[in-house]
Amino acid sequence: MTGNQDAGAVEREELDPRQALGIIDQQRRRAALTEPSTALVTGAWGAAWLVGYTAMWLSAGDDGAPALWAGALALGLGVVAVVTTIVHSARRSHGIRGVSAVEGALYGFAWPVGFAAQGLIVGGISGAGAPPRAVAVAANSIAALVVALLYIAGGALWREPLLYGLGVWMALVAGLAALAGVPVTYLVMGLAGGGVALVASLVVGVRARRAHRARLAGAPA
Amino acid sequence: MSDDALDPVIHAQARLRVVATLAALGRGNRITFPRLQKLLEMTAGNLSTHLRRLEEADYVSITKTFEGRTPATYVELTPVGALAFERYTEQLRALLGGVS
Repeated sequence: MTGNQDAGAVEREELDPRQALGIIDQQRRRAALTEPSTALVTGAWGAAWLVGYTAMWLSAGDDGAPALWAGALALGLGVVAVVTTIVHSARRSHGIRGVSAVEGALYGFAWPVGFAAQGLIVGGISGAGAPPRAVAVAANSIAALVVALLYIAGGALWREPLLYGLGVWMALVAGLAALAGVPVTYLVMGLAGGGVALVASLVVGVRARRAHRARLAGAPA
Repeated sequence: MSDDALDPVIHAQARLRVVATLAALGRGNRITFPRLQKLLEMTAGNLSTHLRRLEEADYVSITKTFEGRTPATYVELTPVGALAFERYTEQLRALLGGVS
């Protein structure tokens, strides 16, 4: 045991308080790799909305209905964003169990639930005889509202300012998109929804990376 | 050992890295041995040695379980370990004159 203690004593001497705090900070950032990057996930969704909805707006005919190709593109981009979110989150949280994993699973489950409800409501509105333009407005805005409220909930749960802020913004976009009517509603969703989400995510992501580099450069050798 | 002395179980580079990583995962979270090893970039033998020392001090708990048919080892900071780490970081800050 004496040998071990001696080795420990040598190790202790080498570690000053500033270095120790540096190590703690460094490991905190390493451990952050076990959580999904909000900037990456919201960025992927922002890009999908920006391109998908803008294509729907561009292709909309006189009746306000988007072309089939644009709808298919938007749907395809949505699928890509879903897969990106799931793969990224699974990779980051691999090997981690406990309260955070349970929270994440419960939160994740809220998304298909929210969109299932959105689908049923839109079906109901359509079934009640609403004209296609009204159905389109409701479908878009209710979807945006589901996203908005879940972003707000996630932002509150994990204290993520980007997620919370985008949630509040998306709620406003959902309202404004409804007022804009078809087909301008698609443009509002694409630019104000997707575009703003993409830009905000890029700004937050680049800033975090820069701060990380600055800290690495300033860290004691 | 006086009250002001830094906890010798934590105040060693390798164990500090282990404890700081486990603490950063947050209360109530545990991590598999291989994932922890990857985050720390330590050899399995080295990590095992330090984990044993931390387990002896009751700072970490190690659970062996099965996921399907694959055995899995989970590592978690205990409340005792979390408290010791909190105290340790406070001491470091005090030593640096309150500079965070």
